[in-house]
Amino acid sequence: MPVDFTLIVVLVIALALIFDFTNGFHDTANAMATPIATGAMRPKVAVGLAAVLNLVGAFLSTEVARTVSGGIIREGDGGVLITPEIIFAGLIGAIVWNLITWLRGLPSSSSHALFGGLIGAAIIGIGFQSVDYSVVVAKVILPALIAPLTVGLVAFIATKLAYSITRRDTGRADGRGGFRYAQIFSSSLVALSHGTNDAQKTMGVITLTLIASGTQSIGSGPQLWVVIACALAIAIGTYTGGWRIIHTMGRGLTDVKPAQGFAAETSTAATILASSSLGFALSTTQVASGSVIGSGLGRRGATVRWGMAGQIALGWVLTLPASAIMGAFAAGFAMLGPIGIVIDLLLGTLVVAMLYQRSKRTRISHDNLHDIDDAGRVVKIRKTPRRIARRDRKKVAL
Amino acid sequence: MINWAAFVVVAVASLLASVVVVSLYSLGLRLLTSAGRALVVDPQSFTGAITVLTPKRAAKEAKRARKTASANPLTAGQKRLALVGAYTCFVLCVGAVLYGVYLIVPALHR
Repeated sequence: MPVDFTLIVVLVIALALIFDFTNGFHDTANAMATPIATGAMRPKVAVGLAAVLNLVGAFLSTEVARTVSGGIIREGDGGVLITPEIIFAGLIGAIVWNLITWLRGLPSSSSHALFGGLIGAAIIGIGFQSVDYSVVVAKVILPALIAPLTVGLVAFIATKLAYSITRRDTGRADGRGGFRYAQIFSSSLVALSHGTNDAQKTMGVITLTLIASGTQSIGSGPQLWVVIACALAIAIGTYTGGWRIIHTMGRGLTDVKPAQGFAAETSTAATILASSSLGFALSTTQVASGSVIGSGLGRRGATVRWGMAGQIALGWVLTLPASAIMGAFAAGFAMLGPIGIVIDLLLGTLVVAMLYQRSKRTRISHDNLHDIDDAGRVVKIRKTPRRIARRDRKKVAL
Repeated sequence: MINWAAFVVVAVASLLASVVVVSLYSLGLRLLTSAGRALVVDPQSFTGAITVLTPKRAAKEAKRARKTASANPLTAGQKRLALVGAYTCFVLCVGAVLYGVYLIVPALHR
Protein backbone atom coordinates (compact mmCIF):
# COMPACT_ATOMS: atom_id res chain seq x y z
CA MET A 1 0.00 0.00 0.00
CA PRO A 2 1.47 3.37 -0.96
CA VAL A 3 2.08 5.71 1.95
CA ASP A 4 1.81 9.10 0.26
CA PHE A 5 -1.92 9.38 0.71
CA THR A 6 -2.92 12.98 1.04
CA LEU A 7 -5.77 13.99 3.30
CA ILE A 8 -8.11 14.49 0.37
CA VAL A 9 -7.51 10.97 -0.94
CA VAL A 10 -8.27 9.50 2.47
CA LEU A 11 -11.38 11.66 2.64
CA VAL A 12 -12.59 10.50 -0.76
CA ILE A 13 -12.00 6.84 0.09
CA ALA A 14 -13.92 7.24 3.34
CA LEU A 15 -16.79 8.94 1.51
CA ALA A 16 -16.82 6.27 -1.18
CA LEU A 17 -17.04 3.55 1.46
CA ILE A 18 -19.89 5.39 3.16
CA PHE A 19 -21.64 5.54 -0.20
CA ASP A 20 -21.06 1.80 -0.61
CA PHE A 21 -22.55 1.21 2.83
CA THR A 22 -25.68 3.23 1.98
CA ASN A 23 -25.94 1.33 -1.29
CA GLY A 24 -26.05 -2.01 0.52
CA PHE A 25 -28.33 -0.50 3.14
CA HIS A 26 -30.76 0.69 0.49
CA ASP A 27 -30.72 -2.41 -1.69
CA THR A 28 -31.14 -5.31 0.73
CA ALA A 29 -34.81 -5.12 -0.01
CA ASN A 30 -34.23 -5.76 -3.70
CA ALA A 31 -32.96 -9.22 -2.99
CA MET A 32 -34.62 -10.18 0.21
CA ALA A 33 -38.03 -8.48 0.36
CA THR A 34 -39.77 -11.10 -1.77
CA PRO A 35 -38.55 -14.24 0.05
CA ILE A 36 -39.32 -12.61 3.39
CA ALA A 37 -42.76 -11.60 2.16
CA THR A 38 -43.66 -14.99 0.74
CA GLY A 39 -42.34 -16.68 3.85
CA ALA A 40 -39.56 -18.41 1.99
CA MET A 41 -36.93 -17.41 4.50
CA ARG A 42 -36.72 -16.24 8.06
CA PRO A 43 -35.79 -12.58 8.01
CA LYS A 44 -32.69 -13.13 10.13
CA VAL A 45 -31.39 -15.81 7.80
CA ALA A 46 -32.34 -13.86 4.69
CA VAL A 47 -30.48 -10.74 5.75
CA GLY A 48 -27.38 -12.60 6.92
CA LEU A 49 -27.26 -14.58 3.71
CA ALA A 50 -27.68 -11.44 1.60
CA ALA A 51 -24.75 -9.82 3.40
CA VAL A 52 -22.45 -12.80 2.92
CA LEU A 53 -23.38 -13.20 -0.75
CA ASN A 54 -22.82 -9.52 -1.43
CA LEU A 55 -19.37 -9.98 0.03
CA VAL A 56 -18.69 -12.98 -2.19
CA GLY A 57 -20.17 -11.31 -5.27
CA ALA A 58 -17.86 -8.35 -4.90
CA PHE A 59 -14.88 -10.63 -5.46
CA LEU A 60 -16.26 -12.51 -8.45
CA SER A 61 -15.81 -10.03 -11.26
CA THR A 62 -14.28 -6.58 -11.46
CA GLU A 63 -15.39 -5.64 -14.98
CA VAL A 64 -17.81 -3.00 -13.76
CA ALA A 65 -15.13 -1.40 -11.58
CA ARG A 66 -12.95 -1.05 -14.69
CA THR A 67 -15.82 0.62 -16.56
CA VAL A 68 -16.13 3.19 -13.80
CA SER A 69 -12.43 3.82 -13.23
CA GLY A 70 -11.22 3.65 -16.80
CA GLY A 71 -14.08 4.69 -19.01
CA ILE A 72 -16.35 7.50 -18.02
CA ILE A 73 -13.92 10.24 -17.13
CA ARG A 74 -11.03 10.83 -19.51
CA GLU A 75 -7.78 10.70 -17.67
CA GLY A 76 -4.11 11.26 -18.36
CA ASP A 77 -2.24 10.81 -21.68
CA GLY A 78 -2.94 14.21 -23.17
CA GLY A 79 -6.47 14.05 -21.86
CA VAL A 80 -7.66 15.94 -18.85
CA LEU A 81 -6.38 15.13 -15.42
CA ILE A 82 -9.12 14.51 -12.95
CA THR A 83 -8.33 15.43 -9.37
CA PRO A 84 -9.44 13.78 -6.13
CA GLU A 85 -11.22 17.04 -5.30
CA ILE A 86 -13.57 16.57 -8.24
CA ILE A 87 -14.32 12.97 -7.28
CA PHE A 88 -14.95 14.20 -3.76
CA ALA A 89 -17.47 16.74 -5.05
CA GLY A 90 -19.16 14.09 -7.19
CA LEU A 91 -19.53 11.79 -4.21
CA ILE A 92 -21.02 14.51 -2.04
CA GLY A 93 -23.55 15.21 -4.79
CA ALA A 94 -24.43 11.55 -5.13
CA ILE A 95 -24.83 10.92 -1.40
CA VAL A 96 -26.99 13.99 -0.87
CA TRP A 97 -29.27 13.14 -3.79
CA ASN A 98 -29.50 9.54 -2.63
CA LEU A 99 -30.58 10.56 0.84
CA ILE A 100 -33.11 13.09 -0.43
CA THR A 101 -34.80 10.56 -2.69
CA TRP A 102 -34.68 7.88 -0.02
CA LEU A 103 -36.39 10.12 2.49
CA ARG A 104 -38.95 11.49 0.07
CA GLY A 105 -39.75 7.98 -1.12
CA LEU A 106 -38.82 8.80 -4.70
CA PRO A 107 -37.74 5.90 -6.85
CA SER A 108 -34.08 6.41 -7.57
CA SER A 109 -30.93 4.53 -8.34
CA SER A 110 -27.79 4.78 -6.25
CA SER A 111 -25.73 3.91 -9.30
CA HIS A 112 -27.14 6.69 -11.43
CA ALA A 113 -26.75 9.12 -8.56
CA LEU A 114 -23.07 8.19 -8.41
CA PHE A 115 -22.53 8.59 -12.15
CA GLY A 116 -24.57 11.78 -12.24
CA GLY A 117 -22.59 13.29 -9.38
CA LEU A 118 -19.27 12.43 -10.98
CA ILE A 119 -20.27 13.72 -14.40
CA GLY A 120 -21.65 16.98 -12.98
CA ALA A 121 -18.54 17.54 -10.88
CA ALA A 122 -16.23 16.79 -13.80
CA ILE A 123 -18.06 19.17 -16.15
CA ILE A 124 -17.89 22.06 -13.68
CA GLY A 125 -14.46 21.24 -12.31
CA ILE A 126 -12.68 20.54 -15.59
CA GLY A 127 -14.97 21.21 -18.50
CA PHE A 128 -17.34 19.55 -20.92
CA GLN A 129 -14.55 17.72 -22.73
CA SER A 130 -13.56 15.78 -19.59
CA VAL A 131 -16.44 13.35 -19.82
CA ASP A 132 -16.30 10.53 -22.32
CA TYR A 133 -19.90 10.78 -23.44
CA SER A 134 -19.71 7.80 -25.76
CA VAL A 135 -18.83 5.55 -22.81
CA VAL A 136 -21.56 7.16 -20.71
CA VAL A 137 -24.09 6.42 -23.43
CA ALA A 138 -22.81 2.95 -24.26
CA LYS A 139 -22.25 1.62 -20.75
CA VAL A 140 -24.58 3.62 -18.52
CA ILE A 141 -27.50 5.28 -20.31
CA LEU A 142 -28.33 2.61 -22.88
CA PRO A 143 -28.14 -0.28 -20.40
CA ALA A 144 -30.36 1.78 -18.08
CA LEU A 145 -32.96 2.07 -20.84
CA ILE A 146 -32.68 -1.43 -22.24
CA ALA A 147 -32.12 -3.60 -19.16
CA PRO A 148 -35.44 -2.95 -17.34
CA LEU A 149 -37.31 -3.68 -20.56
CA THR A 150 -35.50 -6.89 -21.46
CA VAL A 151 -35.58 -8.15 -17.87
CA GLY A 152 -39.30 -7.38 -17.76
CA LEU A 153 -39.85 -9.43 -20.89
CA VAL A 154 -37.70 -12.27 -19.57
CA ALA A 155 -39.53 -12.27 -16.23
CA PHE A 156 -42.86 -12.24 -18.06
CA ILE A 157 -41.92 -15.31 -20.09
CA ALA A 158 -40.43 -17.09 -17.07
CA THR A 159 -43.55 -16.46 -14.98
CA LYS A 160 -45.82 -17.74 -17.76
CA LEU A 161 -43.65 -20.84 -18.00
CA ALA A 162 -43.62 -21.47 -14.25
CA TYR A 163 -47.40 -21.24 -14.08
CA SER A 164 -48.17 -23.23 -17.19
CA ILE A 165 -45.80 -26.07 -16.33
CA THR A 166 -47.24 -26.49 -12.85
CA ARG A 167 -50.87 -25.94 -13.87
CA ARG A 168 -53.31 -28.60 -12.70
CA ASP A 169 -57.02 -29.04 -12.33
CA THR A 170 -58.50 -26.67 -9.83
CA GLY A 171 -59.17 -28.39 -6.56
CA ARG A 172 -56.00 -30.42 -6.90
CA ALA A 173 -52.70 -29.61 -5.30
CA ASP A 174 -50.29 -28.00 -7.74
CA GLY A 175 -47.25 -28.00 -5.46
CA ARG A 176 -46.57 -24.34 -6.17
CA GLY A 177 -45.74 -23.83 -2.51
CA GLY A 178 -42.51 -25.57 -3.46
CA PHE A 179 -41.41 -22.39 -5.22
CA ARG A 180 -40.76 -21.03 -1.73
CA TYR A 181 -37.78 -23.32 -1.44
CA ALA A 182 -36.57 -22.24 -4.87
CA GLN A 183 -36.80 -18.63 -3.80
CA ILE A 184 -34.18 -19.22 -1.15
CA PHE A 185 -31.76 -19.87 -4.00
CA SER A 186 -33.02 -17.33 -6.49
CA SER A 187 -32.92 -14.48 -3.98
CA SER A 188 -29.45 -15.56 -2.95
CA LEU A 189 -28.43 -15.23 -6.58
CA VAL A 190 -29.85 -11.72 -6.66
CA ALA A 191 -27.76 -10.81 -3.60
CA LEU A 192 -24.70 -12.30 -5.29
CA SER A 193 -25.33 -10.38 -8.49
CA HIS A 194 -25.75 -7.21 -6.46
CA GLY A 195 -22.22 -7.69 -5.19
CA THR A 196 -20.89 -8.20 -8.71
CA ASN A 197 -22.42 -4.96 -9.92
CA ASP A 198 -22.93 -2.45 -7.11
CA ALA A 199 -19.86 -3.04 -4.97
CA GLN A 200 -17.86 -2.60 -8.16
CA LYS A 201 -18.98 0.98 -8.62
CA THR A 202 -17.33 2.06 -5.39
CA MET A 203 -14.20 0.10 -6.26
CA GLY A 204 -14.17 1.98 -9.53
CA VAL A 205 -14.43 5.33 -7.78
CA ILE A 206 -11.66 4.56 -5.30
CA THR A 207 -9.45 3.28 -8.12
CA LEU A 208 -10.19 6.44 -10.08
CA THR A 209 -9.13 8.48 -7.05
CA LEU A 210 -5.89 6.54 -6.70
CA ILE A 211 -5.19 7.05 -10.39
CA ALA A 212 -6.02 10.73 -10.14
CA SER A 213 -3.66 11.20 -7.19
CA GLY A 214 -0.91 9.41 -9.05
CA THR A 215 -0.59 6.45 -6.70
CA GLN A 216 -1.80 3.99 -9.29
CA SER A 217 -1.06 3.69 -12.99
CA ILE A 218 -3.62 4.71 -15.58
CA GLY A 219 -5.89 1.97 -16.84
CA SER A 220 -5.12 -0.52 -14.08
CA GLY A 221 -7.80 -2.42 -12.21
CA PRO A 222 -8.75 -2.16 -8.55
CA GLN A 223 -6.19 -3.26 -5.97
CA LEU A 224 -6.93 -6.09 -3.59
CA TRP A 225 -7.35 -3.94 -0.47
CA VAL A 226 -9.86 -1.78 -2.37
CA VAL A 227 -11.85 -4.86 -3.34
CA ILE A 228 -11.83 -6.13 0.24
CA ALA A 229 -12.81 -2.76 1.73
CA CYS A 230 -15.70 -2.29 -0.72
CA ALA A 231 -16.94 -5.83 -0.29
CA LEU A 232 -16.99 -5.38 3.49
CA ALA A 233 -18.69 -1.99 3.30
CA ILE A 234 -21.51 -3.26 1.10
CA ALA A 235 -21.95 -6.41 3.19
CA ILE A 236 -22.21 -4.47 6.45
CA GLY A 237 -24.60 -2.02 4.78
CA THR A 238 -26.74 -4.88 3.56
CA TYR A 239 -26.90 -6.39 7.01
CA THR A 240 -27.85 -3.16 8.80
CA GLY A 241 -30.34 -2.20 6.12
CA GLY A 242 -31.99 -5.55 6.43
CA TRP A 243 -32.62 -5.08 10.12
CA ARG A 244 -34.35 -1.83 9.40
CA ILE A 245 -36.62 -3.56 6.92
CA ILE A 246 -37.43 -6.41 9.26
CA HIS A 247 -38.33 -4.09 12.08
CA THR A 248 -40.50 -1.83 9.99
CA MET A 249 -42.12 -4.08 7.44
CA GLY A 250 -45.36 -5.74 8.21
CA ARG A 251 -47.92 -3.94 6.17
CA GLY A 252 -48.58 -3.05 2.62
CA LEU A 253 -46.13 -5.30 0.90
CA THR A 254 -47.05 -6.12 -2.64
CA ASP A 255 -48.76 -9.41 -3.17
CA VAL A 256 -46.09 -11.62 -4.67
CA LYS A 257 -46.72 -15.31 -5.15
CA PRO A 258 -43.83 -17.76 -4.71
CA ALA A 259 -43.89 -18.88 -8.37
CA GLN A 260 -43.86 -15.30 -9.55
CA GLY A 261 -41.18 -14.27 -7.07
CA PHE A 262 -38.96 -17.11 -8.19
CA ALA A 263 -39.35 -16.23 -11.86
CA ALA A 264 -38.70 -12.55 -11.17
CA GLU A 265 -35.60 -13.19 -9.08
CA THR A 266 -34.13 -15.64 -11.55
CA SER A 267 -34.48 -13.12 -14.38
CA THR A 268 -33.05 -10.32 -12.25
CA ALA A 269 -30.03 -12.37 -11.24
CA ALA A 270 -29.42 -13.64 -14.76
CA THR A 271 -29.56 -10.15 -16.26
CA ILE A 272 -27.33 -8.53 -13.65
CA LEU A 273 -24.77 -11.32 -13.72
CA ALA A 274 -24.57 -11.27 -17.51
CA SER A 275 -24.25 -7.48 -17.53
CA SER A 276 -21.59 -7.48 -14.83
CA SER A 277 -19.42 -9.85 -16.77
CA LEU A 278 -19.57 -7.50 -19.76
CA GLY A 279 -18.87 -4.42 -17.65
CA PHE A 280 -22.29 -2.74 -17.89
CA ALA A 281 -22.90 -0.64 -14.81
CA LEU A 282 -26.56 -1.35 -14.30
CA SER A 283 -28.87 -0.04 -11.67
CA THR A 284 -29.83 -3.15 -9.74
CA THR A 285 -32.92 -1.41 -8.41
CA GLN A 286 -34.19 -0.71 -11.90
CA VAL A 287 -33.57 -4.25 -13.06
CA ALA A 288 -35.33 -5.69 -10.03
CA SER A 289 -38.27 -3.32 -10.55
CA GLY A 290 -38.51 -4.24 -14.21
CA SER A 291 -38.65 -7.92 -13.43
CA VAL A 292 -41.24 -7.50 -10.68
CA ILE A 293 -43.47 -5.64 -13.14
CA GLY A 294 -42.84 -8.17 -15.91
CA SER A 295 -43.57 -11.13 -13.69
CA GLY A 296 -46.70 -9.47 -12.36
CA LEU A 297 -47.94 -9.11 -15.92
CA GLY A 298 -47.24 -12.80 -16.42
CA ARG A 299 -49.93 -13.63 -13.89
CA ARG A 300 -53.55 -13.94 -14.81
CA GLY A 301 -55.87 -10.99 -14.65
CA ALA A 302 -53.01 -8.51 -14.50
CA THR A 303 -53.44 -4.90 -15.56
CA VAL A 304 -50.93 -2.07 -15.44
CA ARG A 305 -51.42 1.06 -13.38
CA TRP A 306 -49.81 3.32 -15.95
CA GLY A 307 -49.83 6.36 -13.69
CA MET A 308 -47.58 4.63 -11.18
CA ALA A 309 -45.37 3.22 -13.89
CA GLY A 310 -44.96 6.75 -15.21
CA GLN A 311 -44.01 8.10 -11.78
CA ILE A 312 -41.34 5.47 -11.36
CA ALA A 313 -39.95 6.10 -14.85
CA LEU A 314 -39.87 9.84 -14.16
CA GLY A 315 -37.89 9.24 -10.97
CA TRP A 316 -35.38 7.19 -12.89
CA VAL A 317 -34.97 9.78 -15.63
CA LEU A 318 -34.55 12.53 -13.08
CA THR A 319 -31.77 10.87 -11.08
CA LEU A 320 -28.84 11.39 -13.45
CA PRO A 321 -29.36 15.10 -14.20
CA ALA A 322 -30.43 15.94 -10.64
CA SER A 323 -27.39 14.36 -9.03
CA ALA A 324 -25.26 15.92 -11.76
CA ILE A 325 -26.48 19.34 -10.62
CA MET A 326 -25.68 18.43 -6.99
CA GLY A 327 -22.24 17.25 -8.03
CA ALA A 328 -21.73 20.42 -10.06
CA PHE A 329 -22.54 22.63 -7.08
CA ALA A 330 -20.19 20.67 -4.86
CA ALA A 331 -17.48 20.93 -7.51
CA GLY A 332 -18.03 24.68 -7.70
CA PHE A 333 -17.07 24.95 -4.03
CA ALA A 334 -14.28 22.42 -4.33
CA MET A 335 -12.66 24.65 -6.98
CA LEU A 336 -12.03 27.24 -4.27
CA GLY A 337 -9.28 25.08 -2.82
CA PRO A 338 -9.00 23.56 0.68
CA ILE A 339 -11.52 26.02 2.08
CA GLY A 340 -14.01 24.86 -0.56
CA ILE A 341 -13.53 21.24 0.46
CA VAL A 342 -14.27 22.21 4.04
CA ILE A 343 -17.39 24.08 2.91
CA ASP A 344 -18.48 21.02 0.92
CA LEU A 345 -17.91 18.73 3.85
CA LEU A 346 -19.79 21.02 6.22
CA LEU A 347 -22.70 21.46 3.81
CA GLY A 348 -22.82 17.72 3.18
CA THR A 349 -22.77 16.92 6.87
CA LEU A 350 -25.43 19.56 7.49
CA VAL A 351 -27.73 18.10 4.84
CA VAL A 352 -27.18 14.56 6.10
CA ALA A 353 -27.83 15.64 9.71
CA MET A 354 -31.00 17.47 8.68
CA LEU A 355 -32.23 14.50 6.71
CA TYR A 356 -31.41 12.21 9.59
CA GLN A 357 -33.42 14.34 11.97
CA ARG A 358 -36.34 14.33 9.57
CA SER A 359 -36.09 10.60 9.03
CA LYS A 360 -36.50 10.09 12.75
CA ARG A 361 -39.73 12.05 12.65
CA THR A 362 -41.29 10.36 9.62
CA ARG A 363 -42.33 6.83 10.25
CA ILE A 364 -40.93 4.34 7.84
CA SER A 365 -43.79 2.96 5.83
CA HIS A 366 -44.19 1.41 2.45
CA ASP A 367 -43.93 4.92 1.01
CA ASN A 368 -40.26 5.16 1.76
CA LEU A 369 -39.50 1.53 2.29
CA HIS A 370 -38.19 0.52 -1.08
CA ASP A 371 -38.64 0.89 -4.77
CA ILE A 372 -39.41 -2.72 -5.55
CA ASP A 373 -42.61 -2.46 -3.64
CA ASP A 374 -43.62 0.50 -5.78
CA ALA A 375 -42.84 -1.53 -8.86
CA GLY A 376 -45.06 -4.31 -7.57
CA ARG A 377 -47.93 -1.90 -7.26
CA VAL A 378 -47.70 -1.01 -10.90
CA VAL A 379 -49.35 -4.29 -11.76
CA LYS A 380 -52.85 -4.81 -10.50
CA ILE A 381 -54.06 -8.38 -10.29
CA ARG A 382 -57.69 -9.41 -10.11
CA LYS A 383 -58.53 -12.28 -7.83
CA THR A 384 -59.13 -15.41 -9.92
CA PRO A 385 -61.12 -14.13 -12.88
CA ARG A 386 -64.34 -16.13 -13.12
CA ARG A 387 -64.27 -16.83 -16.84
CA ILE A 388 -60.77 -18.28 -16.68
CA ALA A 389 -61.50 -20.19 -13.50
CA ARG A 390 -64.34 -21.97 -15.27
CA ARG A 391 -62.15 -22.83 -18.21
CA ASP A 392 -59.60 -24.10 -15.73
CA ARG A 393 -61.96 -26.67 -14.34
CA LYS A 394 -61.71 -28.61 -17.55
CA LYS A 395 -59.40 -31.49 -17.15
CA VAL A 396 -55.72 -30.80 -17.56
CA ALA A 397 -53.52 -33.74 -18.31
CA LEU A 398 -51.68 -35.08 -15.31
CA MET B 1 -18.54 2.66 -30.37
CA ILE B 2 -21.83 1.39 -29.00
CA ASN B 3 -21.55 -2.33 -28.81
CA TRP B 4 -25.04 -3.45 -29.73
CA ALA B 5 -23.98 -7.07 -29.89
CA ALA B 6 -23.21 -6.94 -26.16
CA PHE B 7 -26.80 -5.92 -25.41
CA VAL B 8 -28.07 -8.78 -27.49
CA VAL B 9 -25.71 -11.14 -25.65
CA VAL B 10 -26.99 -9.96 -22.26
CA ALA B 11 -30.63 -10.21 -23.31
CA VAL B 12 -30.29 -13.64 -24.89
CA ALA B 13 -28.13 -14.99 -22.06
CA SER B 14 -30.55 -13.87 -19.38
CA LEU B 15 -33.55 -15.16 -21.32
CA LEU B 16 -31.90 -18.52 -21.84
CA ALA B 17 -30.72 -18.82 -18.25
CA SER B 18 -34.08 -17.84 -16.79
CA VAL B 19 -36.08 -20.09 -19.09
CA VAL B 20 -33.84 -23.09 -18.41
CA VAL B 21 -33.73 -22.63 -14.63
CA VAL B 22 -37.41 -21.82 -14.19
CA SER B 23 -38.58 -24.58 -16.55
CA LEU B 24 -36.43 -27.21 -14.87
CA TYR B 25 -37.57 -26.29 -11.39
CA SER B 26 -41.24 -26.06 -12.40
CA LEU B 27 -41.01 -29.39 -14.18
CA GLY B 28 -39.45 -30.85 -11.07
CA LEU B 29 -42.32 -29.58 -8.94
CA ARG B 30 -44.82 -30.87 -11.48
CA LEU B 31 -43.28 -34.34 -11.47
CA LEU B 32 -43.08 -34.31 -7.68
CA THR B 33 -46.80 -33.62 -7.58
CA SER B 34 -47.42 -36.34 -10.14
CA ALA B 35 -45.46 -38.72 -7.95
CA GLY B 36 -47.92 -37.97 -5.20
CA ARG B 37 -45.58 -35.80 -3.16
CA ALA B 38 -46.87 -32.30 -3.73
CA LEU B 39 -44.83 -29.89 -1.65
CA VAL B 40 -46.82 -28.31 1.09
CA VAL B 41 -45.04 -25.62 2.99
CA ASP B 42 -45.47 -25.99 6.68
CA PRO B 43 -45.95 -22.64 8.41
CA GLN B 44 -43.97 -23.97 11.38
CA SER B 45 -40.82 -23.97 9.29
CA PHE B 46 -41.25 -20.33 8.31
CA THR B 47 -42.12 -18.79 11.64
CA GLY B 48 -40.36 -15.48 11.29
CA ALA B 49 -41.98 -14.64 7.99
CA ILE B 50 -43.93 -11.45 7.52
CA THR B 51 -46.69 -12.91 5.41
CA VAL B 52 -47.12 -16.25 7.04
CA LEU B 53 -49.30 -18.95 5.69
CA THR B 54 -52.06 -19.28 8.26
CA PRO B 55 -52.27 -22.75 9.86
CA LYS B 56 -55.80 -22.98 8.48
CA ARG B 57 -54.66 -22.41 4.92
CA ALA B 58 -51.74 -24.76 5.33
CA ALA B 59 -54.06 -27.47 6.63
CA LYS B 60 -56.31 -26.90 3.64
CA GLU B 61 -53.36 -27.24 1.28
CA ALA B 62 -52.14 -30.38 3.04
CA LYS B 63 -55.60 -31.89 2.72
CA ARG B 64 -55.67 -31.01 -0.94
CA ALA B 65 -52.26 -32.61 -1.43
CA ARG B 66 -53.41 -35.81 0.27
CA LYS B 67 -56.53 -35.86 -1.88
CA THR B 68 -54.49 -35.37 -5.03
CA ALA B 69 -52.08 -38.09 -3.96
CA SER B 70 -54.85 -40.60 -3.22
CA ALA B 71 -56.61 -39.91 -6.51
CA ASN B 72 -53.39 -40.44 -8.40
CA PRO B 73 -54.05 -42.64 -11.45
CA LEU B 74 -50.39 -43.54 -11.90
CA THR B 75 -49.04 -46.98 -11.06
CA ALA B 76 -46.35 -47.40 -8.41
CA GLY B 77 -43.69 -47.78 -11.09
CA GLN B 78 -44.81 -44.65 -12.90
CA LYS B 79 -44.76 -42.75 -9.63
CA ARG B 80 -41.23 -43.87 -8.94
CA LEU B 81 -40.24 -42.78 -12.44
CA ALA B 82 -41.85 -39.40 -11.88
CA LEU B 83 -39.97 -39.02 -8.62
CA VAL B 84 -36.66 -39.86 -10.25
CA GLY B 85 -37.53 -37.39 -13.00
CA ALA B 86 -38.31 -34.73 -10.42
CA TYR B 87 -35.00 -35.12 -8.63
CA THR B 88 -33.16 -35.17 -11.97
CA CYS B 89 -34.80 -31.84 -12.81
CA PHE B 90 -33.74 -30.30 -9.50
CA VAL B 91 -30.17 -31.51 -9.91
CA LEU B 92 -30.03 -30.20 -13.50
CA CYS B 93 -31.43 -26.88 -12.30
CA VAL B 94 -28.72 -26.48 -9.66
CA GLY B 95 -26.16 -27.54 -12.25
CA ALA B 96 -27.38 -24.87 -14.68
CA VAL B 97 -27.07 -22.19 -12.01
CA LEU B 98 -23.55 -23.28 -11.05
CA TYR B 99 -22.51 -23.37 -14.69
CA GLY B 100 -23.87 -19.85 -15.16
CA VAL B 101 -21.88 -18.54 -12.19
CA TYR B 102 -18.80 -20.34 -13.48
CA LEU B 103 -19.18 -18.62 -16.85
CA ILE B 104 -19.20 -15.11 -15.40
CA VAL B 105 -16.27 -15.52 -13.03
CA PRO B 106 -13.15 -14.91 -15.12
CA ALA B 107 -10.87 -16.25 -12.36
CA LEU B 108 -12.30 -19.74 -12.79
CA HIS B 109 -11.46 -20.25 -16.44
CA ARG B 110 -8.37 -18.30 -17.17
